[in-house]
Amino acid sequence: MAERYSSFTAGGRLWLWQRITAAFLIVVLAFHFFLLHFVHHADEVTFAMSAGRMETWSYYSLMILFLVTATFHGVNGVYNALINAGLTGAKRQAVKVVLGAASLLLLVQGFRTANAWAGIDLLPIL
Amino acid sequence: MSQSYDRGLIEDFGRWREFSAGMWAWIFHKFTGWVLIGYLFTHIAVLSTALTSASADPAAVAANQDLYTQTIRTLESLLVVRILEVGLLAVAVFHILNGTRLLLVDLGIGLGSQDRSFYASLILTGAIVVASIPTFLAGVSL
Amino acid sequence: MSTQRQQPETETESTETETAQDRRLEKKRQRAAERERARVEAEERAAADAERYHLKVFRYDPEVEGKQEPRFDDFHVPYEPGMTVLDALIYARDQFDASLTFRHSCRQAICGSDALFVNGRQRLGCQTQLSDLEQPVRIEPLPHSEVVKDLVVDMEHFYDQMESVEPYFQTEDRPDGELEEQRQSRENREKIKKSTRCIWCGACMSSCNIAAGDNEYLGPAAINKAYRFAMDEREGADMKQRRLEIIEQEHGVWRCQTQFSCTEVCPKDIPLTEHIQELKREAVKSNLKFW
Repeated sequence: MAERYSSFTAGGRLWLWQRITAAFLIVVLAFHFFLLHFVHHADEVTFAMSAGRMETWSYYSLMILFLVTATFHGVNGVYNALINAGLTGAKRQAVKVVLGAASLLLLVQGFRTANAWAGIDLLPIL
Repeated sequence: MSQSYDRGLIEDFGRWREFSAGMWAWIFHKFTGWVLIGYLFTHIAVLSTALTSASADPAAVAANQDLYTQTIRTLESLLVVRILEVGLLAVAVFHILNGTRLLLVDLGIGLGSQDRSFYASLILTGAIVVASIPTFLAGVSL
Repeated sequence: MSTQRQQPETETESTETETAQDRRLEKKRQRAAERERARVEAEERAAADAERYHLKVFRYDPEVEGKQEPRFDDFHVPYEPGMTVLDALIYARDQFDASLTFRHSCRQAICGSDALFVNGRQRLGCQTQLSDLEQPVRIEPLPHSEVVKDLVVDMEHFYDQMESVEPYFQTEDRPDGELEEQRQSRENREKIKKSTRCIWCGACMSSCNIAAGDNEYLGPAAINKAYRFAMDEREGADMKQRRLEIIEQEHGVWRCQTQFSCTEVCPKDIPLTEHIQELKREAVKSNLKFW
């Protein structure tokens, strides 16, 4: 049962970060929904309007942070749900790799999309 | 040497009538969680059409004829998409409200009334969703 | 004075030697016999009329052909006020089927032997009144455990998890003076009081969905046990740290999803989820201090 004694156990960290990101997401997701369905209407969305919002540093950084926390919270949630259901051994390692790759994909694509709106050209592909 | 009878997990969900509030909360939170992560991926995929639009002809963008605008508008003109959005709202609101309940429990607040706070989350979710339907369905041809 | 009838030596002699006293005694005996018959009849009638509780009991026996496929047996047990599920099972075993197998001992909710799954909920047989239950009363072995026979489940996994948290008092801190007691303040005792009530019945672990899915999860009972000792001030800070390290591993407190089923089914009303939550906060706090 006791594999390693360490103060820096992964279980505790992930648990805490899941809660911290949760608190952040409650506010930001509610804001996001409100902005895009009630303040503006979803069927009135245009590239120009989205770009207009993204070109402000405050909104841009909020959205990047939103992307990162949502990806972490969601992927960590899925990972924990699978462990609770009894995922062990090689399958667990495989799942970790897949989830890690999926997260990276999501983050990179989201980042590129944000830059497209904001008109930021970091690298030819970013 | 006698064997033992492993009843497995299958017996569980057949007994859904016996589930307690806390168990329903756990099940719904997991279910809504999966839906939301699935949505997150599809959402970023749809939004990626902005990449094409960013390098498109500026005149097209100005006229709202670029890929991103067109994609979103086409999707939003479909009734089924609007209904799915209401569903998404329900899922997100529940996950947020029950999540708040869980955060309070993690801080040691409200453990004694945890079942009532679950029912409250359900009712509040329903109320918010119903109140939002007019806005969500506005402008779509039925 | 003897009520024994005098034995006559011959038949012819009996009628001649019969006295008034003999006749009186004979009548007395006849009346007594009648009363006895009437009493037995009344009892049988009462038993036949008595409200009978319909039990459906899970049966399984891998060693007996015909019982290798699990099934439910019906027992109709005559009800007496105050009858518990355990009483009913004992009656059924004694009167109807001697092969009905289940664990029980103290019948006063302190040994923890007779945890069962009654009408869809984990309960102690001796602590559950039949009159509180809807019929037919479904009695099954605890879920999420392997069934050995009838209502008996394999408790080894439960005991393994309990033992892995070192469920015994240990401390390096001794008081000064050889004969001094290790003192505990009233407040500290009050704090851990509820967690000391665990009777190792296994109801909580059986009700937890995470314990069902994740085999390595310690389970509410084990974590509560760890709480009982970690929060005991007599053990000292080092021991507390060591205990926290055991339960803050991946399959320790972090697996708890606050489903609350354990708290609901605990027959000793221990606020298990609350204790687990407190340990989570303790673990987070102690880890943060290292920065």
